[in-house]
Amino acid sequence: MSKLYDLTLRIQRTNSEDGKPRYQTYQLQAGPIMRFVDLLRMINDDQDPSLTWNSSCEHGQCGTCSMRINGRPMLACELLVENGVEMFNTTTFTLEPLQVATVVRDLVVDSDEAYERVNRVKPYIIDPLPPGKDGEEHQINPDQLELYVDATRCINCFCCASACISSHRTFLGPNAMLATIVRVLDSREQEKKERLKTIYSDQGVYRCHTSKACSHVCPKEIDVAHFIALAKKGFALE
Amino acid sequence: MKIDIDSTLRCDVLIIGAGGAALRCAAEIFEKRPDTSIISITKVTHPQKSHTSTAQGGLAAVDPKDPLDATIYHMFDTWKGSDCTADQNVVKTICESAWEQILWLENRGMHFSRNRDGRLSKRTFGGHTRNFGESSIYRAVFEADRTGKGIMDTSWGETLKKGIRFLNQTIGIELLIENKQCHGVIALKQKEGAFIKILSKATVIATGGSGQVYRVTTNCRQNTGDGLALVLQSGLPVMDPEAVQFHPTGIVGPGILASETLRSVGGILRNRDLEPFMIEYAPKMKELAPRDLVARAIESEIRGGRGIVNPDHDIAHVWIDLTHLPDEVHEKQIPEVSSFFKRYVNLDTKTDLCPVRPSNHYHMGGIPTNAWGEVEDKNREIIGGLYGAGECAAASFHGFNRLGTNSILELITMGSLVGNKVVDYLKTMPSAHHDLIPQSYQPRFHNYLNSSGKESIGTLRSRLRTVMTEQVSVFRTEDSISKAIDTIEDINDRALHTSITSSHLAMNQELVQRWELENLLLVAKSICYAARYRKESRGAHFRDDFSVRLDEFNHHSLVGIDDNGDCHLSRREIDMSLFEAGGEHSEKFDFIERSY
Ligand SMILES: Cc1cc2nc3c(=O)[nH]c(=O)nc-3n(C[C@H](O)[C@H](O)[C@H](O)COP(=O)(O)OP(=O)(O)OC[C@H]3O[C@@H](n4cnc5c(N)ncnc54)[C@H](O)[C@@H]3O)c2cc1C
Ligand code: SF4
Ligand code: SF4
Ligand code: FES
Repeated sequence: MSKLYDLTLRIQRTNSEDGKPRYQTYQLQAGPIMRFVDLLRMINDDQDPSLTWNSSCEHGQCGTCSMRINGRPMLACELLVENGVEMFNTTTFTLEPLQVATVVRDLVVDSDEAYERVNRVKPYIIDPLPPGKDGEEHQINPDQLELYVDATRCINCFCCASACISSHRTFLGPNAMLATIVRVLDSREQEKKERLKTIYSDQGVYRCHTSKACSHVCPKEIDVAHFIALAKKGFALE
Repeated sequence: MKIDIDSTLRCDVLIIGAGGAALRCAAEIFEKRPDTSIISITKVTHPQKSHTSTAQGGLAAVDPKDPLDATIYHMFDTWKGSDCTADQNVVKTICESAWEQILWLENRGMHFSRNRDGRLSKRTFGGHTRNFGESSIYRAVFEADRTGKGIMDTSWGETLKKGIRFLNQTIGIELLIENKQCHGVIALKQKEGAFIKILSKATVIATGGSGQVYRVTTNCRQNTGDGLALVLQSGLPVMDPEAVQFHPTGIVGPGILASETLRSVGGILRNRDLEPFMIEYAPKMKELAPRDLVARAIESEIRGGRGIVNPDHDIAHVWIDLTHLPDEVHEKQIPEVSSFFKRYVNLDTKTDLCPVRPSNHYHMGGIPTNAWGEVEDKNREIIGGLYGAGECAAASFHGFNRLGTNSILELITMGSLVGNKVVDYLKTMPSAHHDLIPQSYQPRFHNYLNSSGKESIGTLRSRLRTVMTEQVSVFRTEDSISKAIDTIEDINDRALHTSITSSHLAMNQELVQRWELENLLLVAKSICYAARYRKESRGAHFRDDFSVRLDEFNHHSLVGIDDNGDCHLSRREIDMSLFEAGGEHSEKFDFIERSY
């Protein structure tokens, strides 16, 4: 028989009527390899169908289920009960929405509002290099690609932005910075000036205090702070 | 309670969905006709959260610079893989324009993996061959293990750049169709809890898969077959719903995809008694046999009582044993899948046996369209202004079995074809919109909100998904399918006695789940009826009681459901234009045997 854990989940709830957050406590039993999204589903099925949360892929690829678990921004679909118990050394967990946008309801934040900062940096090629010869792709040396490929792995889960104190104010945020830094380094983007202007604006990298919280919480293990530091150095690549 | 229409929006093109197919289509329209107003509605919180973002392996396309490969080989592999049920006009169009699509993505910034020359790297996949099955070939381009994400990021960026309007967390709940002409959709904006009418000149359905019909699935939580339900509720048929692909090795219990690589690097499947059982089913190929055969072998072991039940997820599985492989294989060749086992079941592939079982993976069947994505009724007449693209549609490129890497190729190709068709269509359209009164959503949502009773939506949904996994998955028989149909009818009755705790419409997840339950039931029903009717085995559809393919079933199935809930079956012929064209190699496109 596999072990069962007696768990206490303290969940921040906000309804659309008064918009005031309060905490509700749920008790449940679950096996070691249940994920936090499974726990939320169990609460919906057995105790409280109105508890609102969100997920999509449920295997760490889309960044929909991000929330704060005992204060730490993480993906609820990636955290197993036994790992959570070990990581926080407790069977009581506080679940709260990310601090990146207005709460819509319970654990769901307004993602359009959060994404607005990413949209502002133009997450696409503004001025593309003309196509190669007929039927030919552009050539990009794999060593060149290696310099920025990690930054392309970002899934916009906003865990870093939630952990980054600077981005709670005017800073566009670590993930928005990654989206534009990639295109500074990508040879297929010709519009570098506008990108650099954003990066060095009063909403850009100089707002960052190098705390490295972003790299620490990123579920994709991207060294976000490294890329921000690179931009601060003016992209002086060794 | 306000379930009346809150407001009306107008646009040239409405796209239901914002996955790969949807956004490739929108981007094409903008490139050809920049001032088009396009609205894309999506169930997820943001387009990037669509299921396409999870596609890992790659994207098949014959590189014209490759001296060894040829488009005709790709066509042949697709035809053979489909168990001779793909439409050859569609196969030809998609395979021929594949490389152009790759260049489109590359030129717009997709971060494909590169070889030393800076050109696109390629990998090989099961079923990719040269010279009509002679030997395997490198045909799939990829972006590491996140090819789908690359497509999403690129096509989302392009549409954002061109000024698309996204309504996220907004679900399409009724198509506005009158006299074989579609004029838009009724949608529910979840955040606001507002029902809106969107009037459009052209409407594209690109809602993706239906994996949630099954209990164990590699598909995302939103894949409840909404698009299929939308057309069924409009009195239109779905095609080949019984053609559902199961991946042999989903990780128990979430059903996360553990790639074929596990078997190709030497992983051994073992049952409860730790016996390596593949030798009983495929003495020569063993673990390397094709997907469907391996899935059936695993399922047979489980049915024979030789599976293991995982106590947490309460579902039977077998083991994949990788413990005998050198550390280097774990670290260099299967790092991603190893990390999945670590992350989701806390097991170490180096020292532990890992639990896997067949999992629902892909729906070949879908909304019937012609080769340009125009939606058709059961008489093959076009519904004006209505298009389908991506996994929810069936043109059909995959027939009864999809080859790995052919789906995301189909998304972008059909997406762009539909885009071009829509641009032509808009030229013929008057500038005013035609307004229509919705017919069905109000009574339905009224019932969801006002019925009272003790039935739980979650429990009913689990019961449906379990019966489909147990009775209509890898193996099917007359009896098992009939059992599932009885259960579906019972759930249908019980669903009338569910209630919804909160009457507030804003972000009411229970209400959405109640609506999804109805979609799941409709899709499940169409799968069951078509599967019962098809008394043969073909591709992913395997009947224990009729285990071979029969010529009399060389056709597509069309299933419609009328207002009384009765199912009606009819047939659509398979397009054989490559075979009929005659000439060199045309004989390869006859009804050939699918043996590997
Ligand atoms: C784990 C995994 C790996 C895969 N790997 C590969 C691979 O390597 N190669 C390959 O070729 N294929 C692969 N596939 C298959 C492929 O990913 C899918 O078939 C494909 O992504 C489907 O794309 P789509 O655009 O049709 O739909 P999706 O990307 O699923 O998009 C559907 C869109 O419709 C929206 N939607 C749904 N219902 C509604 C509604 N009612 N109202 C409004 N919006 C709605 C959704 O929110 C979403 O935006 C894989 C699949 C899985 C599960
Ligand atoms: S290193 Fe900079 S960007 Fe990262 S969390 Fe700290 S302040 Fe924010
Ligand atoms: S950088 Fe990491 S933490 Fe930040 S949004 Fe991207 S994936 Fe999430
Ligand atoms: S649901 Fe996609 S990352 Fe968790």
